[in-house]
Amino acid sequence: MKCARHIKKLALICAALFAPVGAVRADVTVFAAASLRGAMDEIAALSDTPVTLSYAGSGTIARQIAQGAPADVVILAHPHWMDWLASNGAILPDSRVVIANNSLVVIGPKNAERITNPGEIQIRLGQGRLAMGQRDSVPAGIYAQQWLENAGLWNTLNTQLAEVENVRFALALVARGETPLGVVYNSDAQAEPKVEVVYNVPEDTHDQIRYPAAAITTEGNNFITLLTTVKASHMLKSHGFTTPKAAK
Amino acid sequence: MILDAASRDALQLSLLVACTATIVALPIALWVAWLLARGQFRGKALLSALVHLPLVLPPVVTGYLLLIGFGRAGPIGKFLYEVFGITLAFRWTGAVLAAVIMGFPLMVRAMRLAIEAVDTKLEHAAATLGASPTSVFATVTLPLITPGILAGAVMGFAKAIGEFGATITFVANIPGQTQTLPSAIYSFLQVPGGESRAIALVLWACVIAIAAVVLSEWLAQRVAKRIRGIEGDT
Repeated sequence: MKCARHIKKLALICAALFAPVGAVRADVTVFAAASLRGAMDEIAALSDTPVTLSYAGSGTIARQIAQGAPADVVILAHPHWMDWLASNGAILPDSRVVIANNSLVVIGPKNAERITNPGEIQIRLGQGRLAMGQRDSVPAGIYAQQWLENAGLWNTLNTQLAEVENVRFALALVARGETPLGVVYNSDAQAEPKVEVVYNVPEDTHDQIRYPAAAITTEGNNFITLLTTVKASHMLKSHGFTTPKAAK
Repeated sequence: MILDAASRDALQLSLLVACTATIVALPIALWVAWLLARGQFRGKALLSALVHLPLVLPPVVTGYLLLIGFGRAGPIGKFLYEVFGITLAFRWTGAVLAAVIMGFPLMVRAMRLAIEAVDTKLEHAAATLGASPTSVFATVTLPLITPGILAGAVMGFAKAIGEFGATITFVANIPGQTQTLPSAIYSFLQVPGGESRAIALVLWACVIAIAAVVLSEWLAQRVAKRIRGIEGDT
């Protein structure tokens, strides 16, 4: 008898634990590229419905969504992965929109002097390394390689790179003084007080850095609309992004 | 399974790192295993805990600790660079260090169990027959614990081949320089359509794993046969 009462109690607890999940599924789940953290946290606070944010690398997110991850909105750091998702039929094609642009910067330790000519990078590096995203797989690394090739520096700097799996880790390496310089997004540099922008990479030396967003479910459409509001673009700008001129 | 240049580099580097790490770690692991199995000293529990720490810590934490300790700005890294001109961070040698530390607890465990299982009466018997401590170790103890040493070496080698978190954090993921097999697989999966390259490397990883186990089984059997042979002689 006593046992039955316990089981009943347990069943009640289980019901209490699991019921709300099924009942209130009005909140929006957003999978966003890791470099958008900060700006996205602020924009999510503007939403009427509760927003759950999950951050990771673009490739990781895209594969999770293709495998049926329960996301309503996806925002990536590179158009390739969005093309891949679109070709897999994983997104609502009409909802796709570019929500932000970014630029590349070379960073050094706090109070480092600016570089006028990229040729000085090698002198600044000395025996040290240039931290950047991995050349083939991390979007920031792909753009950095395009720039270095364009500037004629790739062949000389090729052996002095510290390529990491995530651009925020390149930022951390410079902030910690492990590497004298690094190539990161302007928005990353704004987020870390221990680093100084020493060089702004000209935007015509690499593909345009675009952050595409798309809805996966119809519930996600409202958040896409929110992302293109003036308020949202102000927040993106305050975090070092630029926004497409077409933004409403 | 034809591999492109980047995959081949990664595979070769992983084999180099794993072999070097196993050879470097083996004698140290044996010594520590001996201390833990036979030693009577203060701080034994502490030593055991320290050895096992990498098994419990998330690999990325171990990698980060290595980076802040052995990096150019870290206290040990700075000393090594200024005194010996050695840099470990972002080099393949750093990947070896990461592999040694991550594989160490597994090696020590296997060897310690083997040492503890040795019947000390056999060693005493050899000693009373006039064998010196060194020859007792070489002719009695070592043959008895060889299967344990082999098991430890295989575990350490396997861990070194598969190590990812600490390696990518400490030495980054530079193709041709520090990109090991798991880092290459990870990178390929970060690119749309990179699955086929990743799968080719995964198959190679399986081949290496199977080859390592088969080799160690074969060696262990040879050792067992030899011990039986010795027993038969006497």
